[in-house]
Amino acid sequence: MTDTTIDNTTNTITNSDGLAELVTQCAASKTPIVDYGVAHTGLGFPPPDEHIQLAYRPDLNTTAGGVIEHYDRDMTVRAHAGATMRELRDALKTTRQFLPIDADDDLTLGEVVTHNVYGPMRVAYGSVRDLLLGLHYIDGQGRDIHVGGRTVKNVAGYDVTRFMVGSLGEFGLVHEATIRTYAIPEQATLIDLKLDDPGLFDRVLSQWMLTDAAPAALSMSNEPERWTAHLIYLGRSSACAVQRRSLETLIDQTEGVHLIGSTDGTFDRAQDELSARRVWRRGATTLVKLMVPPALTGAACGEIQTWGESNAPVTIEAMPAHGCIFTGGELSPHGARKLGDLANHICRAHFGQFAWHARPPVIPEAPKIAPFGPLQPDWPMMWRLKKAMDPKRLFNPGRFITTRSHPKENDANN
Amino acid sequence: MASAHPAIAELATVVGPDNILADPDELLVYECDGFPIAKGQPTAVVFPTTTEQVSQVIRTLVKHDLQIVPRGSGTGLAGGAVVYDGGVLVTTSRMTQIEKIDLPNRYAVVQAGVRNFALTEALAGSGYHYSPDPSSQRASTIGGNCSTNAGGINTLKHGVTTNHILGLEFVLPDGTIMHTRAGGVCDGVGPDLPALLCGSEGTFALITRIWCRIVPQPAHFRTFYAVYDSTFDACKTVTDVIAAGILPTSMEMMDGGMIEAVEAAFHFGFPTTAQALLLLEIDGIDQVLDQQMKEIVAIAESNHAKDIMSCSDPKKRAELWQARKKAFGAVGRISHSYCTQDACVPRSKLPEVMAEVGKLGDKFGLRITNVFHAGDGNIHPIMLFDEDDPQQVQNVLRLSEEVLEYCIEVGGTITGEHGVGVEKLHLMDKMFNPQTLDTFDRIKRAFDPKRRINDAKLIPSDKLHVELLTPVTNQPGGAVVTQV
Repeated sequence: MTDTTIDNTTNTITNSDGLAELVTQCAASKTPIVDYGVAHTGLGFPPPDEHIQLAYRPDLNTTAGGVIEHYDRDMTVRAHAGATMRELRDALKTTRQFLPIDADDDLTLGEVVTHNVYGPMRVAYGSVRDLLLGLHYIDGQGRDIHVGGRTVKNVAGYDVTRFMVGSLGEFGLVHEATIRTYAIPEQATLIDLKLDDPGLFDRVLSQWMLTDAAPAALSMSNEPERWTAHLIYLGRSSACAVQRRSLETLIDQTEGVHLIGSTDGTFDRAQDELSARRVWRRGATTLVKLMVPPALTGAACGEIQTWGESNAPVTIEAMPAHGCIFTGGELSPHGARKLGDLANHICRAHFGQFAWHARPPVIPEAPKIAPFGPLQPDWPMMWRLKKAMDPKRLFNPGRFITTRSHPKENDANN
Repeated sequence: MASAHPAIAELATVVGPDNILADPDELLVYECDGFPIAKGQPTAVVFPTTTEQVSQVIRTLVKHDLQIVPRGSGTGLAGGAVVYDGGVLVTTSRMTQIEKIDLPNRYAVVQAGVRNFALTEALAGSGYHYSPDPSSQRASTIGGNCSTNAGGINTLKHGVTTNHILGLEFVLPDGTIMHTRAGGVCDGVGPDLPALLCGSEGTFALITRIWCRIVPQPAHFRTFYAVYDSTFDACKTVTDVIAAGILPTSMEMMDGGMIEAVEAAFHFGFPTTAQALLLLEIDGIDQVLDQQMKEIVAIAESNHAKDIMSCSDPKKRAELWQARKKAFGAVGRISHSYCTQDACVPRSKLPEVMAEVGKLGDKFGLRITNVFHAGDGNIHPIMLFDEDDPQQVQNVLRLSEEVLEYCIEVGGTITGEHGVGVEKLHLMDKMFNPQTLDTFDRIKRAFDPKRRINDAKLIPSDKLHVELLTPVTNQPGGAVVTQV
């Protein structure tokens, strides 16, 4: 079941006892445990040279698709963190329910939680922090910690459950999660719009959100020669029809936006479309995510596009409702560095933040590309919490909370 | 000022003499919050108006080794803002500036003492609102709501406080001012620190400024009302609606005792023989709400609902919600004192949980009425008692304990929205395993290594022990407080 030989090969573990045993051994030998997931290997500082590479996969012979318990009448599911999104999707489908998270099929639930994975459907369903109800994780002493629970409201104890969202695996090994499910919508209406400029939603989205045309999912991308917005309406066919008509009215009243096409289909179709639109990210050798205030999404996309035209072509995929932008492509190390400078400039100007998901190999003579920025004022608190929850620095040490990125602040807190 | 504590004069120089109370008579008002069973008198109450003043106040209290107890408007229901051990209340209720409303980016920045409803009032006419709506929203502050992660009536569909907080400014127990995710960005890189602070009940730091998400105010509603001959049928309607994939904005329930109390007080015309009343609301696209309501009515009928009424009339809607909101006022007319309990259970367990609550009321000889957020599984048994009778006070506490233990047994939690405070401290080890409690303690120490802020609230302290279950001589509702 468990092979805990200490080297950099991948150790596949199938249950929480195995995880606890691994942590105990690694604590004794002071060997870091590394799990950057399958789609986030480029996120953060690289792991230390000596480490154990962890893969947590539940035994699917004993659990249906990684589901431990599905409380279908309560619309919640308790699942192994090692279950993949595809497995969970298939398991929940039998009761016409789903997890409203835009994540690739091969990502585990644990990776989704610890990397705060979300996509265009966040407009309707929120992000992982809005859906997650409870977690089980193994802490730095090999102990099984249970936080949250299975009720939709719960304020007993500190909200470590949500704290773990986006924690990049620095605070423990998540092995189980309880999360809200939703009924699979009867219909999905997919609509594409051509935008004359990427700033349209900066100007109109707050008003559009007050109308029936408010979408369940919204994204935009710089397809060749044009900006395209992708809207999805989810629900009963009658509701989708009303929403589409409302959108058509808005289009008529708004300059610089044109209907390209509209398709009614199943929710599966919508999920496949959403999945297809983010495929480019997994192949990009350079990928950076920017987070800016929502009404500056288009302006930031415009800046990146202009930069790309005079430097190197980049793909841009944005979620205007939440100010999230992914950009990148096949850039040289020099080009990536310049794109990083631009991301830094945009984020500093607008109180935003950026995080690299993929960086090209470093040029020996050039300074390294910082994986995150700008430095956030809560960083000293993160350092203290890391010391409290993982005092031996076992879990993904140095990936996010590190002396390498912010030596001055770190010195101040040691 | 009667108190001679040397900190008083120093605090007065920080906040000004009009922003401090130290006269014992004036302090009486501050000896408890909305949980009247826990009481303790502060050395002083200070009302800073800026973050910098909060920082200086905290530094002064540290210098004098006085406990720092944060307070909003004192509407908390678990004793989280009660001062023990001669501490000082630091009240944010005069930090009332709405500093920014940014509609294009859909957020607002407020000082911690801004009342919940004041923000929604400030947004009137914009089409947007601040969604969390605790029953206390006209009085409670957004800072206090953050500290307790307050819920409310509309949280079933739209979420609780933590779902609407983007960033925070807070002052650590050493006086350091810190920001997390401030600036109107929807999320950041790394762990979610605002979420950890939300619901920490003032045991980490004092929240001074909040970046709040504002969301479109639903424009179209249908409101549904029905009565039942049994609580079981009403509860089953709730779970059947959710299981059918319908997500109402809210699903509120009153039991027979509460219907009677509300009717006696306000004469809304509810049948007083009914055993349960379900009030439900859906929002969304106007043209499809009627169809959805038909499905809800069919579910209710299959569960033996009577007097079903659904409407889109804003006037009737306002009347029905008025009845719900006045429920607590109605209780005040039938009992000298009452204690509202708070627990949350999986919705599908509601029928059996409500039956158990009734049985336990009989066991302890206490009358219980219920008005609660059924859609969330968030129950609020209201125990009626006489505060001047020490035995009844003890019965309330013991009944509460047994209700909460039962809720844990069926997969629920000891608090859905009120918090742990001091009221439920003794149940934390039933709710969490020792290693999880140790983790909470480590996290607390990361923020507050010397346990200077709101010690012995939410998690047990190694310095101070608050015991509510032991009868206190001559002081019903008092607590035994001992130094460990």
